[in-house]
Amino acid sequence: MQGKGSAISIQHITKSFGSFKALDDVSLDIAPGEFFSLLGPSGCGKTTLLRIIAGFEEPDQGEVLFDGTSVLRLPPEKRPCNMVFQNFALFPHLSVRGNIAFPLKRKGLGKEEREERVDELIRFVELTGHDNKKPGQLSGGQKQRVAIARALACEPDVLLLDEPLSALDAKLRQSLLVELDEIHDKVGITFIYVTHDQGEALSVSDHMAIFNEGRLLQAGTPYEIYESPSTLFTASFIGEGNIFPCTALSSRWDEEDDEWIITVDVPALGRTLEVTDWGPVEDGRRLYFSIRPEKVRIVAGDVDLGPGCFHGIVDEPVYAGYQSKFYVKTDEGATIRVLKSHTTYLEEGPGIEWKDRVSVIWRPADGYLVKEEWHEET
Amino acid sequence: MRKPRKDKAGIMLAAPMGLWVTLFFAVPLLIIVTYSFLKKGLYGGVEWEPSFDAYRQVLDPDFIAVTLRTLWTSILATLTCLALALPTAYAIARSRHQTLFLFLTIIPFWTSSLIRIYAWINLLSTEGLVNNILLALGIIKEPLHLIYNLFAVILVLVYMYLPFAILPLFTAFDRFDFTLVDAARDLGSSKLGALVRIMLPSVRSGITTALVFTAIPVFGAYTVPLLVGGMGSTMVGNIIVDQVQKTRNWPLASAFSVILTLVSLIGVLTVLRGGRKDKKSKEVRT
Amino acid sequence: MRKVHAPRFSQLCLFFVMLFLFMPLIVVAAYSFNSGHGMTWQGFSLQWYEELFTSSHDLWRAFWNSIIIALTSSLTATVIGSAAAIGLKWWSFKLSGYIKVATYLPMILPDVIIGISMLIFFSSINLPLGMFTIYAAHTTFNLPFTYLLVDSRLDEFDFSTIEAARDLGEDRKGAMLRVVVPSIMPGVLSGFLMAITMSIEDFVITFFVSGPGSATLPLYVYSSIRYGVSPVINALSLILILASMALAFIFRRFLKSFAASA
Repeated sequence: MQGKGSAISIQHITKSFGSFKALDDVSLDIAPGEFFSLLGPSGCGKTTLLRIIAGFEEPDQGEVLFDGTSVLRLPPEKRPCNMVFQNFALFPHLSVRGNIAFPLKRKGLGKEEREERVDELIRFVELTGHDNKKPGQLSGGQKQRVAIARALACEPDVLLLDEPLSALDAKLRQSLLVELDEIHDKVGITFIYVTHDQGEALSVSDHMAIFNEGRLLQAGTPYEIYESPSTLFTASFIGEGNIFPCTALSSRWDEEDDEWIITVDVPALGRTLEVTDWGPVEDGRRLYFSIRPEKVRIVAGDVDLGPGCFHGIVDEPVYAGYQSKFYVKTDEGATIRVLKSHTTYLEEGPGIEWKDRVSVIWRPADGYLVKEEWHEET
Repeated sequence: MRKPRKDKAGIMLAAPMGLWVTLFFAVPLLIIVTYSFLKKGLYGGVEWEPSFDAYRQVLDPDFIAVTLRTLWTSILATLTCLALALPTAYAIARSRHQTLFLFLTIIPFWTSSLIRIYAWINLLSTEGLVNNILLALGIIKEPLHLIYNLFAVILVLVYMYLPFAILPLFTAFDRFDFTLVDAARDLGSSKLGALVRIMLPSVRSGITTALVFTAIPVFGAYTVPLLVGGMGSTMVGNIIVDQVQKTRNWPLASAFSVILTLVSLIGVLTVLRGGRKDKKSKEVRT
Repeated sequence: MRKVHAPRFSQLCLFFVMLFLFMPLIVVAAYSFNSGHGMTWQGFSLQWYEELFTSSHDLWRAFWNSIIIALTSSLTATVIGSAAAIGLKWWSFKLSGYIKVATYLPMILPDVIIGISMLIFFSSINLPLGMFTIYAAHTTFNLPFTYLLVDSRLDEFDFSTIEAARDLGEDRKGAMLRVVVPSIMPGVLSGFLMAITMSIEDFVITFFVSGPGSATLPLYVYSSIRYGVSPVINALSLILILASMALAFIFRRFLKSFAASA
């Protein structure tokens, strides 16, 4: 089932519903064959963009190009993409076979060829034996597979997936996500995947785009998005962070490690800190400093861990089996969230408990700057 | 939910039905309303002269008596229906054999109304089964007059419209979450108290529906008083028909019809208002 | 869900109500096998059935009239009612409220009013009473059922299946024909069956709008009750009761939704 996906180019798409601006000048390039996620909270415009690509909505402005050719004039049935709907949208009156055969019939495939293709697809999504069941008799996961098989039946260049896992329970989501990734590897076409679940997006995407309130905030690899979010929204939406407003004091080039070291003043932490970045930051610029909880090291007791070490007490420990989360109140009065994985329990010594004194520290390279300006609270 | 679309296709699809109900329902109803304000023609029909004669005739003591009798017959029959339907519907809703009992309720509902009336004639008439049995057992010497009186009318009306009351009540009880009763008892209510304070308010719209959908056809009944009633048990429905077929007083028949229609509409609006409230609370829940 | 035993009192009521509902029907059914005329049992006999099937010419004519009227009026009501249900559900236009109300009302108003208003209407336009007027009246009172059943079916309809069909290669018309129509088919069919039932058993409205020679089965039953009962009616009754049982059995999966819409 090797195919070749299309490259998709979204150019300056704008779409309003009445006074509500669903998409505001969104431009995006998706490479052929990649798994691309559109991520954002509900109402951010990601689904509208997917529906514009599919042909269910017309943009007010802008272009959608498949391999350099505009598809905006084409009705949905003529576009080289197929969709997996959020609630699966299986035809209730047709069996599993009937649903999968539906697009093939429209395409005018002969009966024998059609049956062969349906068999192949049913094997592909591992639904052998369920051929003649109606959608009402299938579990959520099975429906999902029928929807995928149906969408893949005509070998589209692009598969659009509109929150396909949101109707399923958490465990099933995990395993189907892996299956989806495998299917992507097998068919090799472009996948555009809409989700509000950052975990899903981070784990399967080649590239992803973050949306909020109709605007495209950032696009990049999951690594780039997680490690260097460019906006405060992205930083707080993806993963968890300790985010504090700060002011850049000075920047210097560190030859040895081939990176810039920025000194920032973080009033909330009551300190100046060093943090690395790709380039210099204008002195006096207001921005945000962030450190992910899992990158903070925590040690019981008042221990000097080196420069940049904070001392404080555990305000609230949250035990979650494989890890614990601590809200550490520093002596300076700030709260820092810390995640500690329990990898080798016995070597860790006594556990950290409520009201214990602790010391926390992180490496300057683990923090990052979010280059969005903050304003004084009024 | 999608926004409704605005092109012409919708009206094209709805037009045939729209035209049909306009021609065969709305226009005839309008004619009746108009006729009720006209003068009676000499040999039937109407004369095109505005008049309140028909409504004045409605107030004739004889007719008032019939209207009042219709009213209290309907109230009695409806309340009896409700009193029987409430526990029955409750028992069906809580039974393990719901479908079976619904099936049994619906069979008489779907059996021809004339056959059902006819069945009662067989039971109640002077040579009917009830009298035969009572005579054979020596309980009575002379056959009882069980039919062609108000008693028979009310009995058969209850029989005919009981399913109309059971079905909406069943639906209401079936949708009711009985764990709420357990919750109320857990919080200190007695069993009866829980049923009255928790269950009754929840099924109130079901009760209204049952009341109205029993009362409307009972109030407009024609066949039952015609076939099992006597001189002293005619109802408004019979007057309307007599005025059309015998006296050929169309304006009077029309005036009675208008009144009957208005009464029915008020009943339906009551139910709809309750239903809308229900829907709202349901939307809040989901 | 946990089913608890219903308390004694309501179970007792249920028992007596069921007895009340069925006793008259059972008596009629039993007496259809009575060899005598009256309500005194004179021995088992099938003579009334024999008479019903061999020498009841008028009854069979009325029966066929009923069938013709039921089929034509139900078909008309189903086609225009289903189309209108789709149009009224998915589009918004000025007259939609009026059309809905004018369709519902005949179901709600007493039969006498519908019958009388139609009778006066047909007389006013000098349309002779007969099969056509019965057909028109029956279609009118069947419409609310066919419309409502399709309408509630459409409530469950998943709009995205239309988009799925478009996505998979159907144009607008194709999606309507191959996705919408098959999905609402159960609603259409139950509407049709319901209309047939209503039409076959209607007496009051038919009574007003029928003319000479157009008597339907209920009209025939009526005249035999009024002007001399023959126990053939008992035999007919049992057959009609069995027919409604069969119908309720076919509908058994929809009984609950039927109760909800009644």
